Amino acid sequence: MLDIFNRELKQILHDGGVMIIFIVAGFLYPILYNYVYKNGILEDTPVAVVDRACCSDSRRMIREMDATRELNIAYRCTDLEEAKALFQERKVNGIILFPEDFGEKLAYRETATFSIYADMSSFLYYKNLLMGSEFVMLHEINQIKIERLAFDGLTDQQADVSVHAVRYEDINPYNRAFSYSIFLISAILLLIVQQVMFYGMSMSVGTMREENRSFASLPDTLQGRGVGRVVLGRGAVYWLIFMIIGIYVACIVPALFRFPQRGDFWDILLLLAIFVTDCVFFSMTWSTLVTRRESAFVLFLFMSPICVFLTGFSWPTTAFPAFWRWFSYLFPSTFGCQSFINLNTAGADLEIAAPQLRALCIQSVVYFVLACVAVYVENFALRNKDKINKLQLIS
Amino acid sequence: MNFLRKIDRVVQRELRIWARRPIYILGSLFVMTFCTVFYLSFLKEGVPSDVPIAVVDLDRSSTSRNFCQQLDATQLGKVILYEDFSSARADLQGGKVTSVCLIPEGFDRDIQSQRQPTFSFYINGLYFLGGSLAWKDILTMVNLTSGAVQREVLRMKGVPESRIMGELRPVDIDIHQIGNPTMNYGAYLANMMIPGMLQMVVIIILIYSLGAELKYGTGRHLLHSVGGDIYAAVSGKLALYTVLFTAIGWSIEVILYKWMHFPLAGSLGQMLLACFLLVLASEAVAVFIVGCVPICRFALSIGALYSVLGLSLTGFTLPVETMPSALHGFSLIYPLRHYYDLYVQVGIFGSGFGAWYPQVVMLLLFCFLPFFVMKRLAHAYEYLDYERN
Repeated sequence: MLDIFNRELKQILHDGGVMIIFIVAGFLYPILYNYVYKNGILEDTPVAVVDRACCSDSRRMIREMDATRELNIAYRCTDLEEAKALFQERKVNGIILFPEDFGEKLAYRETATFSIYADMSSFLYYKNLLMGSEFVMLHEINQIKIERLAFDGLTDQQADVSVHAVRYEDINPYNRAFSYSIFLISAILLLIVQQVMFYGMSMSVGTMREENRSFASLPDTLQGRGVGRVVLGRGAVYWLIFMIIGIYVACIVPALFRFPQRGDFWDILLLLAIFVTDCVFFSMTWSTLVTRRESAFVLFLFMSPICVFLTGFSWPTTAFPAFWRWFSYLFPSTFGCQSFINLNTAGADLEIAAPQLRALCIQSVVYFVLACVAVYVENFALRNKDKINKLQLIS
Repeated sequence: MNFLRKIDRVVQRELRIWARRPIYILGSLFVMTFCTVFYLSFLKEGVPSDVPIAVVDLDRSSTSRNFCQQLDATQLGKVILYEDFSSARADLQGGKVTSVCLIPEGFDRDIQSQRQPTFSFYINGLYFLGGSLAWKDILTMVNLTSGAVQREVLRMKGVPESRIMGELRPVDIDIHQIGNPTMNYGAYLANMMIPGMLQMVVIIILIYSLGAELKYGTGRHLLHSVGGDIYAAVSGKLALYTVLFTAIGWSIEVILYKWMHFPLAGSLGQMLLACFLLVLASEAVAVFIVGCVPICRFALSIGALYSVLGLSLTGFTLPVETMPSALHGFSLIYPLRHYYDLYVQVGIFGSGFGAWYPQVVMLLLFCFLPFFVMKRLAHAYEYLDYERN
């Protein structure tokens, strides 16, 4: 087994292309993504205001909106056409319109409605417009009610009780400001490990195939036995390399970018150990299909963004169509990324992460068996090449 | 031999390569079909429904039960009742539920006796869509509960029914979502993810096609078959791939806007033009990469790095203005970015040519890229003096 280990290690170290993928992609990609998503919070979305009401209430609300973190009143327009033009030129991402009767309706104690128009080219613009104006609206509603009640002769205390019959507090413990980066980076860090390993290993296997060697050939000393030893020996090399990359990706990179690390180090290490094992056998199984050095990129690059969605970090897993839920179980990243989000970013303990860890273990066993089968079949084909060729000639 | 004859030769040769090696058709047609099916079926609901919301009801009164039923009845939420807070919190941390609502003991009693009970809800913001939708849903329900109490008070005071609404909700918002009125998350993502995948596939396949000539040392054969004219050799390949990718791209546009009926303010023809330009510009990028780095494997690695990052740098999820300022210019080196800007003008605002011609110009500018590397590529094909593997 040591022999196989050495041979594979030499093969990887001597292959410039594979080393480049491991080092450049493994070490650079996490940094790049962290850099791109460094400030994940969209602030001060520019909006245009059309204030037809021109009353003290609308002016106060506009000032309050400008003061929110979400909105920035960039333009004040005299009519909607002017605002629309700014909207189309993308100088603003939303329009807020106060109609003529806004102040009047408030005075008559009717519901006064103002309109917002949100640019849906990014949902984050919409979110900012909605949250910014909703905060101001809720605040205004309470203020107006308290004023009216005071006018009716209630004391401040009485008015407050009547307006806030129920108090509420919203707590968003793991991602307080709904930061886009905290949510995205937690999900993709481990995915990078899986994809880099898969592309690297496929490239290595493809190269051997091109050079008319097989990744599966058994050392002669084993006399055709020891399929498991080949898988474990080769796997051990990748496991060692990727534990280093994994610790870098999952522990050092988050620390570098001051990313939340609420998990216990040893828990994360255990997750990594299981996840990397799973990824090794996963890559071994699927790289069997790769016949040439570059084809992994050509045929499987498109899977990376799909795997991101399959982790369920954005579209909730409960809303997955059944087929895609089963399909997602094929990838270690589905369980690995989920438990990384829970362990590292939400600070869960191993008991909470147990279902995903268990799934990773089951997956590892299945992929180990499949990898062995692949080696066995490949070997069988190799050893009986002549016979097969003869058969083909006859037929 | 005139130019058209030469191109015909290259096309014939390329078709023979396709027939011998299925990777080209697999990598383009199959991959794009798979991606289209994936993004359209995975997000087909548009807006997620029945997102699990945990409720810990320590009050067990008619008010709290009513709250649970109302929350459960919303399209978005599905209430799961928990006995105690710690198990609900564990499931929140494990991502099994998106949020936890805590109704304190004596909730109903405190409301009736005007002691202002506090209702708490916890959101797991790490699951973005589920979390933020649950946040909005619960907030609405809380305000409704509070409103219901106030309505009772107003009725008891004898305020006429016609005036109650004005008292309860003095101010209201009327929201218009321009370009996606139903807030269809599937349409929003698929609109850009599928063209994003097309950009990726065009770049990767074309780099592979041009790079394979270097790798297998057939570049000289290709050049000699057209009398050493590198422009004819590359144009021939591009002609065939342009037809293939434009056909794929146009089918996608028709599927998105005619079959799925995703919102489109402008006309389909404008999107077809945008798609054609996206294909051309992406091809130019591919030729440029191979020309700069005439080693198949390196060119592919660069192409992969470039196109995967492109999905983020285009800024249709996290807008570019949020990224570090050093990256703002980088988004411009992606054809997809200009396609996105064009789509916003056509699809969301329904503007005319006057509003989106800058994007057309930008996409056409990409097409000049190959001219800078033609000589280098010809040299590489002729002398094959670069590392092959």
